[in-house]
Amino acid sequence: MTAKDLKKISRENLWFNNPIFIQILGICSTLAVTNLLTNTLIMTLGVTFTAAFSNLTIAFMKDWIPRKVRMIVQVLIISFYVIIVDILLRAFLPEISKSLGPYVGLIITNCILMGRAEAFAQSNPPIPAFWDGLTSGIGYMWVLMAIAFVREFLGFGTLFGFPVAPAWFPQWTIMVMAPSAFFLVAILLWIAKNRMTGGKA
Amino acid sequence: MRKDGILYTVVFSFIITFLFVFLLALANEGTSGIVQRNQELARQKAILSAMAIPFRTDEEVNTLYKAIEILDKEGVRFYKSTQGGKTIYAKEFSGSGLWGTITGILSVDEQVSQIVGIQIVSHNETPGLGGRVADPWFKDQFRGLKVKNGRIHVTFGAEAGSGKANKEEGIADGITGASRTSQAMDTILNGELTVFKKILGGSR
Repeated sequence: MTAKDLKKISRENLWFNNPIFIQILGICSTLAVTNLLTNTLIMTLGVTFTAAFSNLTIAFMKDWIPRKVRMIVQVLIISFYVIIVDILLRAFLPEISKSLGPYVGLIITNCILMGRAEAFAQSNPPIPAFWDGLTSGIGYMWVLMAIAFVREFLGFGTLFGFPVAPAWFPQWTIMVMAPSAFFLVAILLWIAKNRMTGGKA
Repeated sequence: MRKDGILYTVVFSFIITFLFVFLLALANEGTSGIVQRNQELARQKAILSAMAIPFRTDEEVNTLYKAIEILDKEGVRFYKSTQGGKTIYAKEFSGSGLWGTITGILSVDEQVSQIVGIQIVSHNETPGLGGRVADPWFKDQFRGLKVKNGRIHVTFGAEAGSGKANKEEGIADGITGASRTSQAMDTILNGELTVFKKILGGSR
């Protein structure tokens, strides 16, 4: 695995095979947590951390894992890292742990983690697998942050909780609620696909 | 041993599960002291802020908390504090929100005519929606909110969204996009006000 391969992996995960745009994975959390930038950032950091380390661990162990229980073991490893994140947040960042509530635990069900474990870590050496998990997480993060930026700005008139919109600015209630994420994800998908294919369907 | 054989699979699954669960148990044990201290500190801070007692450092919280009198009346625990000749009471509350129990502190003046403040200790409401009960803008609406005929009102549904409380009329604005949580807060707080009125209001 050379630096060129690693670069290719990151290009794929950040853009050409972006988990949200192309793989359409992790959509549930895209709809749920993207109305505030702070929550989105912490949540996606959690996903990135878990994706990177679960990929690393699975890639290390892949030769010993029996095929029959492979997915169960993957879920076990993913849940292990998610619970570690939860424990660390509760002990050292109690405020953030409180504001994220049940969403940390729900990282386990994020399809990107399973997807990368099964599609990449299961058949690649540890370092590229780690890199793949990390860049997949970042690919997921930047799209979610873009959506959260629009939703928090239009919905609350704030960014990271700081008021930025003028007082007369009407707050779009729809942006606060989950349905707006459907529209925004669809619009983003459309733009991204268009750019990738150069307008050809 | 064959890697796909049943014995290997069972032994492997057992060892791997044991190992990871053991590590988690260690991490949990290792941080449980910190978590507990955090929770106790959060509770004390919540009581102080609900009673509008300002504090800066964690040490200050400890000293100020010790100055609060704890009363057990009719099986209900009240916190009593006197500042500048005024007596205020606080009480822990809990009630059902949309997804789980919302717990917090409600503080009122001696006559139960005005809310001094509320704090949320724990909740499982939707982050970004009902989870905003714990946000300062929501809680601050209750500072000095008048209790009218023994009740206050938290708006929900179409009437919510102004973002401002009508303190004289005892009306707090609910959370946009979280009608059920706003409604729950209305029910919980009014229930608590009834308890305050019944136990403290009748004793004088």
